[in-house]
Amino acid sequence: MTHVLEVSSLKKYFGGVKAVDGVSFTVEEGEILGLIGPNGCGKSTLFNCILGQLTPTEGEVKLDGRVVTGLYPAQLNRLGVSRTFQLLQVFPNLSVRENLILAGQEHKGSMIGRLFGARDAGLTAEADRMIAFFKLEHLADQKAGGLSYGQQKLLDAAMAFMAGPRLVLLDEPAGGVNLTMLANLKERLQIINRELGATFVVIEHNMDFVMSLCSRVVVMAEGKILAEGPPSAIRNDPAVIEAYLGH
Amino acid sequence: MDQFLQLVVAGLATGAIYALAAIGFTLVWQTSQTINFAQGEFVMLPAILVLVGTHAGLPVWAAFAVASIAFVLLFGFGFKRFLVEPMQRHGVLPLAIATMALSVLVKEAAKNGFSAEAQPFPSLVPDGMLSLWGAALSARDLAIFVVAVVAIVGLQLFITRTRTGRTMQATAQNPTVARILGIPVERMILLTFLINAMLALVASYLVSPVYLAKFSNGESIGLAAFIAAIVGGFNQIRGALAGGFLIGLIDNLTAAYVSSAYRTAVPLVVLVVVILVKPEGLLGRKEERTV
Repeated sequence: MTHVLEVSSLKKYFGGVKAVDGVSFTVEEGEILGLIGPNGCGKSTLFNCILGQLTPTEGEVKLDGRVVTGLYPAQLNRLGVSRTFQLLQVFPNLSVRENLILAGQEHKGSMIGRLFGARDAGLTAEADRMIAFFKLEHLADQKAGGLSYGQQKLLDAAMAFMAGPRLVLLDEPAGGVNLTMLANLKERLQIINRELGATFVVIEHNMDFVMSLCSRVVVMAEGKILAEGPPSAIRNDPAVIEAYLGH
Repeated sequence: MDQFLQLVVAGLATGAIYALAAIGFTLVWQTSQTINFAQGEFVMLPAILVLVGTHAGLPVWAAFAVASIAFVLLFGFGFKRFLVEPMQRHGVLPLAIATMALSVLVKEAAKNGFSAEAQPFPSLVPDGMLSLWGAALSARDLAIFVVAVVAIVGLQLFITRTRTGRTMQATAQNPTVARILGIPVERMILLTFLINAMLALVASYLVSPVYLAKFSNGESIGLAAFIAAIVGGFNQIRGALAGGFLIGLIDNLTAAYVSSAYRTAVPLVVLVVVILVKPEGLLGRKEERTV
């Protein structure tokens, strides 16, 4: 059986700094995998390597059994991989709806339509469905830059789903998001996972969020994988506790 | 009052020219961090090219067509491909200085290759007077104003209402994410350079019948457009628009009511005041850059 995502012995060195130092793991179809670890352990670098924003020093990334190491982010995006960002990355002076349309537009429509098309009715409808699903209706026409931090995070997540991805990498989706909105986000992710069978990898520091959302958790420390297993086992793993609490 | 109205219309006409140049200026800045100090020469040159064509014996319409196509190719596509792209990796400042060199080159080439004297330029609008509320207004000024406003409104609609325009905005606001989303960022940047060349072209054909076509025309227009862009807010199209009209009005009113010797001084004073009081420009947003 092929895995949705398979990372083998991935290494990324910045000069002498071994940010990611031989990481291997797999992600199965329909799974929500948590990726946790102390700050600076290489989680975001790992994401950037998987998504083609950084070229790994060594190792391989496979998507559905196909080697995708070295592809550009846009190519991966077209293959059904999308991501959210730890630091907010929306288009601040465009409306929420326009942000969503942009996130989906390169996947739809003919070349000619893309060149000359005025507003694409299908995309707008889809953006509006996404807005309704994430409960952002009252903000649809507001500029994204004027939204609260939590609302922008929600928009960021919604944008990741506009392309109809199979695999979504979420980089700290809960950071700085208040509890109500967090519950909303978690519920949305669970629905998308259940109804559409989308697969997620989630980097997160909020343990309650990770432990209640994910079926399996990978723990990284100092560029390596420290532990892997279901949330209940990870919670009580002495090595994990030590990595978090210090020596 | 009659005189004031005339001056306002003349000021709006001048301002419209500045606004066209200033908008192009902010567009290329927003999408590619290019400060184009040759912007004035971009407005000077198309008219000269048309005259080169008519002197070579081409009919007027053909001269306009050839000059327009050649200019947009050379100073839209060529400018980006052969000056901006090679210089960009060295930073904003080397690129800005390269555009200064281009401005000198274009100006001297026009002077030595064509003429050092001001040349009459065919007007697209017959020069006459219109009477409005008792004031005699120049038909040409009104026509300049109307054509420029139509061009600007058209551009604004294109940018805000079409898919390509929206994609251009995304490219300007966050090129990294735009690239990840699969947006053809490079093509969008090229498009802004082509639009900039077209705006300069329109400005050139509007202004040259009034000021005559001369190699040094770019100096004052380039400076005014630069000031207009900064005064209005460098990162906003409507800022450049407001700045253009404001500088045009100030320019004309100063010449009439203060002294024509202070014509270029007062916009500079306005510039200094704006930089001291509201450095992001009248309509601008504070520049925020993440490191």
